Amino acid sequence: MKAYNVINTRIPRVDATAKATGEARYTADLSLPNMLYGAILQSPLAHAKILNIDTTRALRLPGVRDVVTAKEAPPVKYGVSPARYDETIFCIGRARYVGDEIAAVAAEDLETAMEALSLIEVEYEPLPAYLDIESAMRDGAIAIHGDYPGNISAEVHQVFGNFDEAIRECDIVRTDRFVNKRQDGGFLEPQACIAHFDLNGNLTLRTSTQSVHYVQRSLSMVLGIPIGKVRVIKPYVGGGFGPKAAVNSIELASSLMSMRTGRPVKMVFSREQVFLHSRARHQFFHELTTGVKKDGTIVALKNTCYLDGGAYSSFGIATIYYAGSLLGAPYKIAHMQYDGYRIYTNKPACGAQRGHGGVAARAAWEQQLDIIAEELNMDPVEFRLKNIMKTGDVTCNDFNMSSLGMKECLEAVRDGSGWAEKKGKLPRGKGIGVACGFFVSGAGYPIYRSETFHSTATIRLSEDGGTVNLYTAAAEIGQGSDTILSQIAAEALGVRFEDVVVHSGDTDFGVDLGAYSSRQTLMSGHAVKAAAEDVKRQVLGALSERLRVFAADMDIRDGLIVFAGETPDFSTLRAGYIKEHRGFDLKLPEGELSFREAARAAFLLRGVIIGNGAYKPGELGGKYKGAAVGTSPAYGCSAQIVEVSVDMETGKLTVDSMTDAHDCGFAINRTNVEGQMQGSLSMGLGEALFEEVRFDKMGRVANPTLGEYRIPTMLDIPNVKTIIIESDEPNGPFGAKEVGEGAIMPTIPAILNAIHDATGVRINELPVTSERLYNAIKDKTDRERD
Amino acid sequence: MLLLPKFDYEEPKSLQEALRIFSELKGKAKVIAGGTDLIVNMKKGIVAPACVVSLRRIGPLSVVDTKKTVIEIGSHVTVSELASSGFLAAALPVLAKAAATLGSPLIRNRATIGGNIVTARPAADLPPALMVLGAKVELKSKGKKRTVPLDGFFTGPGSTVMDDDEVLTKIVTPGIPPFTGTDYVKLMHRATLEIAIVAVASRITLDGPAGPIKDARIVLNAVAPKAVHAVSAERFLLGERPSEELFTEAARRAMDDASPIDDIRGGAAYRREMVGILTKRALSKALDEVRGRETRGAR
Amino acid sequence: MKKLISLSVNGKEYELAAASNKTLTQALRDDLGLLGTKEGCGVGDCGACTVIMDGKPVNSCLILAVQAVGSEITTIEGIAGTGGLHPIQKAFVDLGAIQCGFCTPGMILSAKGLLDSKPEPTEREIREALSGNLCRCTGYQKIVEAVQEAAKTMKKEQRRDYHEGV
Repeated sequence: MKAYNVINTRIPRVDATAKATGEARYTADLSLPNMLYGAILQSPLAHAKILNIDTTRALRLPGVRDVVTAKEAPPVKYGVSPARYDETIFCIGRARYVGDEIAAVAAEDLETAMEALSLIEVEYEPLPAYLDIESAMRDGAIAIHGDYPGNISAEVHQVFGNFDEAIRECDIVRTDRFVNKRQDGGFLEPQACIAHFDLNGNLTLRTSTQSVHYVQRSLSMVLGIPIGKVRVIKPYVGGGFGPKAAVNSIELASSLMSMRTGRPVKMVFSREQVFLHSRARHQFFHELTTGVKKDGTIVALKNTCYLDGGAYSSFGIATIYYAGSLLGAPYKIAHMQYDGYRIYTNKPACGAQRGHGGVAARAAWEQQLDIIAEELNMDPVEFRLKNIMKTGDVTCNDFNMSSLGMKECLEAVRDGSGWAEKKGKLPRGKGIGVACGFFVSGAGYPIYRSETFHSTATIRLSEDGGTVNLYTAAAEIGQGSDTILSQIAAEALGVRFEDVVVHSGDTDFGVDLGAYSSRQTLMSGHAVKAAAEDVKRQVLGALSERLRVFAADMDIRDGLIVFAGETPDFSTLRAGYIKEHRGFDLKLPEGELSFREAARAAFLLRGVIIGNGAYKPGELGGKYKGAAVGTSPAYGCSAQIVEVSVDMETGKLTVDSMTDAHDCGFAINRTNVEGQMQGSLSMGLGEALFEEVRFDKMGRVANPTLGEYRIPTMLDIPNVKTIIIESDEPNGPFGAKEVGEGAIMPTIPAILNAIHDATGVRINELPVTSERLYNAIKDKTDRERD
Repeated sequence: MLLLPKFDYEEPKSLQEALRIFSELKGKAKVIAGGTDLIVNMKKGIVAPACVVSLRRIGPLSVVDTKKTVIEIGSHVTVSELASSGFLAAALPVLAKAAATLGSPLIRNRATIGGNIVTARPAADLPPALMVLGAKVELKSKGKKRTVPLDGFFTGPGSTVMDDDEVLTKIVTPGIPPFTGTDYVKLMHRATLEIAIVAVASRITLDGPAGPIKDARIVLNAVAPKAVHAVSAERFLLGERPSEELFTEAARRAMDDASPIDDIRGGAAYRREMVGILTKRALSKALDEVRGRETRGAR
Repeated sequence: MKKLISLSVNGKEYELAAASNKTLTQALRDDLGLLGTKEGCGVGDCGACTVIMDGKPVNSCLILAVQAVGSEITTIEGIAGTGGLHPIQKAFVDLGAIQCGFCTPGMILSAKGLLDSKPEPTEREIREALSGNLCRCTGYQKIVEAVQEAAKTMKKEQRRDYHEGV
């Protein structure tokens, strides 16, 4: 592969120092003069009519400046997808889950705001609450949303090829069921926002978000403020993982109260409220039927999935498609059928979370494939190698694998983990397992129907000094986009990394759909690259005029102008530069023309140099319904091998080692890619072994704490051997594609397959707590004895 | 920001002053030591004492003192001091071991032995270790003092025999007699920051280096409203020669001594089974420690 | 009722008015403007609020401001020297141990607490010492590597200081 100056390196992140010193300012760290503190009143009941709300006593409390309910709020429906706008800022007549927003208060301090909440009197009439999909779908169940009888929030049926025919030709047919549990994003920083509606009618919202663009649109639509007068700014964000990719209740409530009071309003979620808000991973009930030929060829797959969606749609309309479309690949399969049902229940709404809809499906299928491989007496790695797609293949649901290093990933983990020496040779209680996965590199279409560019980028070259100011609305949420976008800009323009200053996460800087569907490296990266190349053209164009050299004979590299032929005489240019900087210690390179001199010359000739880039994917995907969801300009893929030890007497599982190979196309920053791989595996491990959101009989979240919702600690995850595979994606900037979400896909099934290797049992329900594994081992032992 | 309710705060300079406050305010005052339980419960709205009293200025409460036949541990000695003390690791290893499993290093740096006792959580880590040691607690109130064995100190989840004007000042425990081994085994979901699913503290004393079991103590954790002795298992072991089969049978009996419930960390049936597994392991490890101590010449 | 109290933070004496129910986290952030200490949960489950108090890393969300009077408190703002970053901070930056950064101040302070008392920890000891600090982004591995790197640097600096008679 080509050698680069700035990309494919291990350059430390641009924001690392600010974070290491405590200087980084997250939203809850910010204050504005004359600021009010807001608090939200939430429903204590899972399903209830709201008969009356009396806010008089709250309004009278000294220090309270505003109290709002549905009466004071615009009744405009919103959500994530326009096809499912089913939320309002506050409940109108009906609360649909414990945590649903009833009212909000703004006061001089937080204590007063909290006290005011307790003074709001709400009369509820409880309704039957449907806490699981069976009861929600039963005959006679009340529709949680009037437009959706039977509480079916969305229904999808997709047929590719002919499953019923194809399955008849199969030698082995297996049907398995699988269920995970509702999860939580588990990010360390709770949502927070500060809204400021000023006297000129401009709304500025600072908020912990993954998408300033989507939040901006929602605020404008719901509050009726022209979109050009709404600015959303993203300060440092402490993780998102999906739940922060759309507008939330405090963003709307604080904006509304700022409009009414004329003062800034700050609102911060408590950890418990993070759980009540959720918008995190659904619970999926899968039934998969796979048919295989006796030579190991995968022929057909039928996937039926029920999603427990909670009380509102959120990203669920996309989730329901991904739960089907993210199977098939990376294996060649001609016949695939999917039937999905997303059900409303009276619980917090579920949305998108890392791997969006594909994680449980992948866990179910990769385990089932392992079972089939065992029946065929085939090594699971060989079985997969036999079926995988390669670069250029197209799936039966029209996903074009423009690059696919799946073979390289599988072979890398096989060879890197000692698979051959270990598989089938480990003592009882120890096991090794393998799995594969893939994911989109950005959703092919925005969440609202539009021809909009998915990402724009602007570079403003400083008039003096050659500083490259990069403006992008892309969201740095911890994944490292500020750094890799700076690297891309530097590489494409030819300057040094330290010459780039990135300004990001602000709707004033452009349009960017945000950090979700693992899109920013590819999509925002393309826009940035184009902007940088635009600047390069302009600078070399001006320089060409000034030096009388063809632009095609010049290049910019490492902050210096490079000449194809003989270096021209630039002494006049340099003399002029020195003259206008009398008194400056310039440190100009001897005998070489620096970029800053060239940039200055360009300014003097042309005025300020501004480069623009914009990206939208080309025509993608098939013509079938739902083709929009899952289709993408590129697909990342990965393979993992995991080793576990099981205490056979208690069921306690320890993950001993993890080997992960991920095809990210081309690693813009190798350290960042490894970090995303390790972080994904940590989240996958947590979801496999510990994580579940539980409810009590009243529909209240029973474990809304990080003590009882268990994300892995430093003692729960081993070191991960990370292997970066680079398949050079033609649709990605410099060949790059995603890593942020795809890496989690094989984790859960690799663990499940290792558990089987260690114990002989198959687990079809997550999380695999020690109790669940113990019971499975016991059942197997009892059955074998009988 | 999770807020605390309003309360008065007192920082008495002497124990006498502290006891006077408690005799005046009685149930309206609570001691704040490490705060790792009290502050959490106040933020969650579970308790709201009118007055919070810190005893941090009273030096003797933070001291470990060795007397002739007993070791005295001040109620404000922190859990991390218990876990890292070389002295305690040799003298009261089961206490050091249990302390090391509590919470996280951050919690342990603040949590106190007294706090872990008076909060009376059914899954608290220190009481089972202290119970197999035969520890007693000293309770003082204005003009009164009494010593209560930990066996019998707890009356249910969150409740003890303490009067609301009493303060727990120190823990008094005999040292470990010769030919004795102890252990604390804790089953958890994650490797740290965990409340026990089930835990077992064990202690075996042999009659001489190879003798039969002279004394057996098994305390079960998180499987009853309070830590409980596995009485039938203890009785079964007395006078017998230690062996794997013996421990297996004792463990089986211990299962019947437990009364676990289904809760957020696990089901009752599983917990009962785990009482069996953990008891057996705790007994084996205790026996190993007898042999180890004697080999090392520990006393 | 608020009382005037004095807190010693990062080697400096601060005076502030504090009600008895103000936590140390609140005092540091709201009164002293030291915003590097974060609140992730408020109940001691996550470690984002970690500060060093009298040499020991603790959850500041579980400490009343009035309880901290008379103690030496170190926050993330207090560990860099006049010459630049503390070796632990530098190692975190150089080795990719920081992603979203929200756990970072607490993580660095727990690491400092460890290395100040145990300059050559094993990997197991590092993981145990930092086990009260949750991270959702990194999977912890690069954090462990950074602490190991910092230990090496600090040892070298100590040796250098020793030889230079510092």
